[in-house]
Amino acid sequence: MAKVLKEEDLIKNGKRCDGRGFEDLRPIIVKAGVLKQASGSAYVEWGRNKVYAAVYGPHEVFPKHMTNNYKALINARYIMAPFSGLDDHSRSGPNRRSIEISKVAKHVFENVVLTNLFPKTMIDVHMEVMQSDGGTRVASITAASVALADAGIPMRDLVCGVSVGKVAGELLLDLDKYEDNLGGSDMPMIFAPRNGDLLLYQMDGMLSKDEVERAYDMALGACKKIRVLQENALKEKYKEVFEKIKGGENGNNQGSY
Amino acid sequence: MKNLVVPGEIVSEKPYRADGVFMEEGKTLSAVMGVVEDGRLIPLKGPYFPKRGDYVIGIIKEEGFYGWMADLHSPFEGKISARETREKFRIGDVVSAKIFEVDEVGEALLGEARRLWEGEVLEVEPAKIPRIIGKSGSMVSLIKQYAKTDAFVGQNGRIYLKGGDTSMAVMAILKICSEAHVSGLTDRISAFLEKGGKD
Repeated sequence: MAKVLKEEDLIKNGKRCDGRGFEDLRPIIVKAGVLKQASGSAYVEWGRNKVYAAVYGPHEVFPKHMTNNYKALINARYIMAPFSGLDDHSRSGPNRRSIEISKVAKHVFENVVLTNLFPKTMIDVHMEVMQSDGGTRVASITAASVALADAGIPMRDLVCGVSVGKVAGELLLDLDKYEDNLGGSDMPMIFAPRNGDLLLYQMDGMLSKDEVERAYDMALGACKKIRVLQENALKEKYKEVFEKIKGGENGNNQGSY
Repeated sequence: MKNLVVPGEIVSEKPYRADGVFMEEGKTLSAVMGVVEDGRLIPLKGPYFPKRGDYVIGIIKEEGFYGWMADLHSPFEGKISARETREKFRIGDVVSAKIFEVDEVGEALLGEARRLWEGEVLEVEPAKIPRIIGKSGSMVSLIKQYAKTDAFVGQNGRIYLKGGDTSMAVMAILKICSEAHVSGLTDRISAFLEKGGKD
C-alpha cells in the first residue's frame, strides 16, 4: 500500500519536498500580450500553476442598472478549468470558492485602478486557471495585473502576491499544493510593492502574532522580486522592436528609446 | 534620454497633471506603460478620452429623437444633435466630426458631422495617433504623398483612407504603431515608403 503523505514528510534536512529552501519562490514565468482578441492579456507560469488573464474594456456597463456615474466598475472572474487538477474541488464551474476569489480580486483591482477616470463604464478582468498546484489566487491576480497594464488601463501600481504558510512548525514562502493541503496554516497576501500597500490578506489555520509579522516581511520581500518579472514581461515587446532596429546599427542595447 | 516605464514608476519629481500620470506625495508617477522624455510621459497604450476640439471618426450606432449616438473607439460615446447637422445618418454610417464639448461623465457632444463616403477605415491604438500625424502633420503628409491617398486621421485611433495605394498606407501606419517608441521614426518610414512599402 502506498504511504500516506503527512505534514512531517514535507520538510527533510532543512529542505522542502521539491528541494526549495524555506524562503524560495517557485520558478515564475510572466508573459504579456498573449491573446490577440483581448484589450490586454497575460500568462503566468508559477511552478506547476498555469494561469491566463485577459482584460476587456473599459466598455458600456452590463447590466445597465449597475452603472456608477462616478467610477468604473470592475468585473473580476476567477475560474479553474475542468482539467486543471481539481481533485477535492469537486466539479468545475463557478462554485463557492471561485466566487469568493473573484470577489477578493475585484476589491484588489478597485484599489489600484484609477476607476474615477472612467465613469459609467466597466472593466472585465478574466482569470482562467489552466493547471493548478496551490497558490492560484495569487498567481491569477499577478497575471491579471499584468493584463491590466497591457490593456493600458491607468493604475497606481502593478500588484502581485504570494502566500506564506506554516508547515511542520516552519514558516514557508510560496506554498505548493501539498504544503497547502497538509500544512497547518496558509496566508495569501497581495501587495502593491511600490509603497507596500497590503491589498489582500486572507488566512487559513493559526499563526502567532510574531509569525504573522515575519510572514508579512517574507511576502513583501518576495513581491518586490515578482514585480521585476512583471515589469520585464511588459517591457519585453517594446524592447524586442527596439533591439531589432537599433541592435544592428551600433551593436549595443544601451541606447535611448 | 528616454526611458520605458510601467505603472507606478516615477515620471517627474514635480507634481503635474497630464494624461496617463497621477500625483502622490508631491511626485508624478506613471499610471500606464509609456516612454518618459524630459519628465513627460508619452503613453504607449490606453483608451481614448474625448477632448474638446479633437477631430474624430465615429460610427453611428444608435438613432433617437435627439439625433444620433456614435461609437468613438473609446469607453465613451459621442452624441450628434439633430440640430447641429443638416445631414441624416443611418446606423453603421462612418462620420467625421469635431468634439464641441465633453461633459462630466466623459460623453462628447459632436459637431460638424459629415458622412464619409467610400474609402476604408483603419483602427489603431489611440496612443499612437500623435506619431502617425507627426510634427505639424509631417508624417501623415509623407504617407499621403507616397501612397497618393487621401487620409483623414481621427484623434480617437481611426484613420480614413480613400483612393491611391491604401494597402501601402496601411502597412506604413502599422509600422509606425509597432515602432513608435524607437527614435528615428520619420527616417525609417520615409525609407520604407520610398521602397514602395517594403523593408
